[in-house]
Amino acid sequence: MAKEITIALAGNPNSGKTTVFNNLTGARQHVGNWPGVTVEKKVGSCSQGGYSIKVVDLPGVYSLTAYSPDEVIARDFILEEKPDAVVDIVDASNLERNLYLTVQLLEMGARVIVALNMMDQADSRDYRIDIAGLSHLLGVPVIPLVASRNKGTTELLDEIIKIAENKTKSARLKVEYGREMEEELTKLEKLVAQSKLASKYSPRWLAVKLLEGDEEVVKKFKEVKVA
Amino acid sequence: MSFMPLAMVCPGEPVQVVGIRAGHGLQRKLADMGLIPGVIIRVMNGQMPGPVIIDLRGSRLALGHGVAQKILVKEV
Repeated sequence: MAKEITIALAGNPNSGKTTVFNNLTGARQHVGNWPGVTVEKKVGSCSQGGYSIKVVDLPGVYSLTAYSPDEVIARDFILEEKPDAVVDIVDASNLERNLYLTVQLLEMGARVIVALNMMDQADSRDYRIDIAGLSHLLGVPVIPLVASRNKGTTELLDEIIKIAENKTKSARLKVEYGREMEEELTKLEKLVAQSKLASKYSPRWLAVKLLEGDEEVVKKFKEVKVA
Repeated sequence: MSFMPLAMVCPGEPVQVVGIRAGHGLQRKLADMGLIPGVIIRVMNGQMPGPVIIDLRGSRLALGHGVAQKILVKEV
């Protein structure tokens, strides 16, 4: 019996998630609907190295706030289902904008693999990306891809297996918000750590979201209080 | 140098965002996509009817005219 792992594909709209999804799953994918909302998710599967890998293609989002249904779906899947790995598809020709989502994923505590897609386009624009440096800064593996020509898929699969087997050392990035913010965040984090929610979500992430006034997180705290 | 709403900018010339007169939600949404004060953008198409299309950090972004009214820019 093959061991089963679940991975999610996340990324900005038009970064190539579905192309990567098709590369990974070949012809075996089927299309499904998330209950209650009109944004579709795709679930497919593939096998590699004795593993059966369930691949979930999430809606394309710019961030993981709770403003629109697609963002909530992407966020809830990562937070609640806790996939074994989140493959963050990044458009290498638009790094600055795309890495914003990457940082949000890391802050959430997801096990991230950055798939640097559209490397050919970045090359044609004469962008030179220091892949090892980026990986070091973010504290996660970074795999270059040209999904449209199915380049890098094997390397990505190898990395997925590594992360699922816990072979990847993670030196998780911590975003520093400056002295004043950090003082408040530390206070909040200590309080939040005493809540039931801290066993499920990263206290640091909860603290940041509370400071932001994130409606979904505020709601979660209200529910815990009632229960 | 005077500030003007993005909705009034002619296509072609680069302008710099100086402020966004909107609530927290819209400010956040635009920031998520990289539209923040200081960034240089270029209007690609602003004809009515239809959205204001801008070049933002190398990608195109379509904004409603209402939203474009709330974004203040200056010439660079």
